[in-house]
Amino acid sequence: MSKTSRRDFLKFGLAAAGSALAASAVEIPLLSNQYSSLKNQLDTANSNLSSTTSQLSAANSQVSSLKGRVNSLVGFTHLSIDQQQLLEPVVETIIPSDSTGPGAKEAGVIYFIDRQLAGDYGLSGNMFMDAPHIQPKIPNTAPAISVNTSSAWNQLAAPAGGGGTTPSKTYTGASPMFTVANPTTTYTVNYGITATPRVGSGINYQYPINMREFWRIGLLALQKYSNNAYSANFQTLSATNQLKVLNDLWNDTPATLTPPLRPADDLTGFSNLVASDFAYELTFMTWSGFLMDPLYGGNQDMVGWTYVGYNGVNFGNFYGEGLSQKTLMVASSPTRLKPASLAQYQNAATGGGA
Amino acid sequence: MSATITEPAVDVVCLGVGYMSGVVAAELTKAGYTVVGITKGPYWDYVNDFSMTKYDEWGVGLGRKYDSPLPLQSTTIRNNSSQFALPVRRYTMPIQYHALGHGVGGAAQHYGGGMGRYGPWAYQMKFLTDGRYGSGFLGNINPQDDTHDWPLTYLEYEPYYKEWEKAHGICGDYNGSPTNLSSDTNNPWMSANYPLPPHPTTPVGTLFQSTVQGMGYHPFPTVSALASQAYTNQYGVTVNPCVYDGYCGGPCDYACETGAKANAAYRTIPYALNTGKFTLVTNAYVFRLTYNSTTHQITDCHYYDGHGNVHVQPINPTGVFFNGMWGYNMIRLMLLSGVGNPYVYNSSTGMGTGTVGRGLTNGYTPNKGTSVSGTLSIGANGYPAGNGAGGGYSMFDLMDDNFDHTNLNFIGGTLVSAGGYQGSGPGNITFAGGVGSSAMGGPFKATQKDKYLLTKVSVGTTPFTPDLPTYMNYIDLDPHYTDAYGDPISRITHDWTPNVYNGAAYLVNQCKPILTQMGATNISVGSAVAPYSYHTDWWGHHLRGGLRVGTDPNAGTATAWAALSGYNQLYFTSNTTGLNYFAAGEITNTTGNNATAGTHAAGPQSYRAAEGIVKYLQNATTSNVNYLA
Repeated sequence: MSKTSRRDFLKFGLAAAGSALAASAVEIPLLSNQYSSLKNQLDTANSNLSSTTSQLSAANSQVSSLKGRVNSLVGFTHLSIDQQQLLEPVVETIIPSDSTGPGAKEAGVIYFIDRQLAGDYGLSGNMFMDAPHIQPKIPNTAPAISVNTSSAWNQLAAPAGGGGTTPSKTYTGASPMFTVANPTTTYTVNYGITATPRVGSGINYQYPINMREFWRIGLLALQKYSNNAYSANFQTLSATNQLKVLNDLWNDTPATLTPPLRPADDLTGFSNLVASDFAYELTFMTWSGFLMDPLYGGNQDMVGWTYVGYNGVNFGNFYGEGLSQKTLMVASSPTRLKPASLAQYQNAATGGGA
Repeated sequence: MSATITEPAVDVVCLGVGYMSGVVAAELTKAGYTVVGITKGPYWDYVNDFSMTKYDEWGVGLGRKYDSPLPLQSTTIRNNSSQFALPVRRYTMPIQYHALGHGVGGAAQHYGGGMGRYGPWAYQMKFLTDGRYGSGFLGNINPQDDTHDWPLTYLEYEPYYKEWEKAHGICGDYNGSPTNLSSDTNNPWMSANYPLPPHPTTPVGTLFQSTVQGMGYHPFPTVSALASQAYTNQYGVTVNPCVYDGYCGGPCDYACETGAKANAAYRTIPYALNTGKFTLVTNAYVFRLTYNSTTHQITDCHYYDGHGNVHVQPINPTGVFFNGMWGYNMIRLMLLSGVGNPYVYNSSTGMGTGTVGRGLTNGYTPNKGTSVSGTLSIGANGYPAGNGAGGGYSMFDLMDDNFDHTNLNFIGGTLVSAGGYQGSGPGNITFAGGVGSSAMGGPFKATQKDKYLLTKVSVGTTPFTPDLPTYMNYIDLDPHYTDAYGDPISRITHDWTPNVYNGAAYLVNQCKPILTQMGATNISVGSAVAPYSYHTDWWGHHLRGGLRVGTDPNAGTATAWAALSGYNQLYFTSNTTGLNYFAAGEITNTTGNNATAGTHAAGPQSYRAAEGIVKYLQNATTSNVNYLA
């Protein structure tokens, strides 16, 4: 996607202001064609002109203010131009703008992701990042792994610790058999060397890199795969093929090495980074950018909340609807509430009004 | 530079300040003793800290801004002792694994307020099963079975239940509840009603109530720990009523900005502080107990303050330590300190020795449980409106041993509930965190349109029968990973036992007629999942056990006090555990009751412990500190 079209979608606020101006212009009387004009009509017209001028001035000031907001809010703090151009069509493929309503584009999902990558999420600020980094899903058919113990554990008295004599531990996985009665059933259970967690779960991410680096490598790999498999950059593919690429990632179609993986700063593709792990992160963060509070840069104008019928922080009377939570929570039919954002809520609660 | 600072000695030191320590702090200061409570997080002020910023799904649900930071301390997970355990690296949604509590009140900051007593059967699960179905039954349905009973019967715990419910303002109504079950006519569950009435009922709750009543079952309003009215507890602490804003339960479990959600921080700790006898130490990380193997006493504990200084907290010569930490941390501190006999599993014999860490169970359902669901032609608001635990009805008729298990391949049963508030919490981050490959493109997007405006509500149940204790499931210290201070973190070895799957497979078919009778359409029964086929995910991690109370010293669940006096708050032999070391402990067995009901069942143990501590302090002398009258 070109930079021009990116600017296009940034202009949503300016377009609204422009239509206000056009409406004002129509109301100006056509004095030049009225030879029989009377003074009072002229006065009226002058008065109208004055009023129109002030409307124009207000609209100009609105335009200027919106321009200011565009200039200050829709820049990027982390994503490079290449990454922006790739990520825009990715998030718009996951949540397209269509006849059912606005999508990732109108919600500004890319800004949500950009700000997250710049902050705690990108820096893995609240993650447990200590070594060693052993990958999940290592089958018990793979060679056993031997892992050094921590000196603190080894120095603790046995059996709680290693008693000073266990510098490493070996893990093989196993296939034990269990029998359960009524009726008698025997189960052979395959335990890999490491567990097989759900993609996206808290023990699944075992890369020795932070999220910012994970996304950098992932985006490069995605673009490379798009070129290898579909012979073009992702942003120039048809919508159908764009969705196919993302589905390929979910299905781990791009080749990955057999575990144990050793992800490094590998720019050659999905050789060291499991494609579905990245597909999860893309999908998860896109939907989050569509549905989290606008404070975080996405869900702009609460388009995501409006789409799913979510109320935000409107508890039934934020805009004077006169409804109460106690009624809404036992209702037998739904009531659509116009959503309110956290900033609106705080402003109202501290005396700023809705 | 860091220093070592010795604090003034007190009568009682509470390690961690959550539900359990809250009770001990209140009861012991009431009795005139001096108490110190040490906790690793802050003392939240619910009005100031939560009222403006809690409505933040990203910050609370994913950023976990009120929770225990993972870089400080994590835990590792594996399904079997042959595996390398993977550390929990990040907070994700739907919620998993995490020891969430950080600060006064602990994990109670985060739950939805689900409560409920365990019934008489749970306390004598093994005794009653052996008696009714034969002593081989448990071993046959549960490979490497390690089930044991609690040290006291339900009736012995009942007075403590009442105290605990009064302290925390539990809501419900026992009329029509399990007291009516024929098997319990001589063994009533409750000698007094809950202190507060239940919350308003939803249309689905009413329908469920009338339907199952017509089928001969015994529904009762779902028990909740969210105050339904303004309330003053036995300590004179006033409680604000719930405002039903809906940011409460849900998988993110929002902190409560009115204090209506029961929590030691707003129920018991304010009283303890008012006595002037309670010292609260926040942002302090306890890392060792000092155990004297000659006198069998814990003499002090060590903790870090925010500067890295080491503080030594001693007790008076006849003082007591009470360990009220979250389960993993309670066990971990004992293992790090050489207190108690560490549990060691032997995979070649399928047995184990030792006690600390033994008997781990999970009080929740594996997310891919067998379930039954359908839709009703009743609408509802799916956005936040209501609270995390009210609005519905529940029944115990398909729980515990309330039906015959002869020739069945499981014991226990499930709580069945319906009609809880649809909008008990925002669902956006849970949805976003749970996405799969299908969550892309226009057709999927269309399924999300107006999804919070429900013209039909779905009704269903995922039966959950108890995850039984086995020798294979336990907690120990991880050999590879450490916390921020360099001490080994806890390692969980757990796979779901067959009882969970076999019970669910049977019970979905008992639950299906309820949906039919309610008039549900599109009823579908999820296909049964075979035992041991689904150990890959850990959604809804509610670990129990690992430090069980009991009567069998060979299982490591008895105490010197049990032998001396019937006080069973110590679980281990006097040779290895401090005689002045108390804990409410982890609950001995799970039931099919809802997940946080485990907290409700642990609650009475804190009152039992408080009573034992008072007796100990009254009777111990410096020359005979082991004495307990």
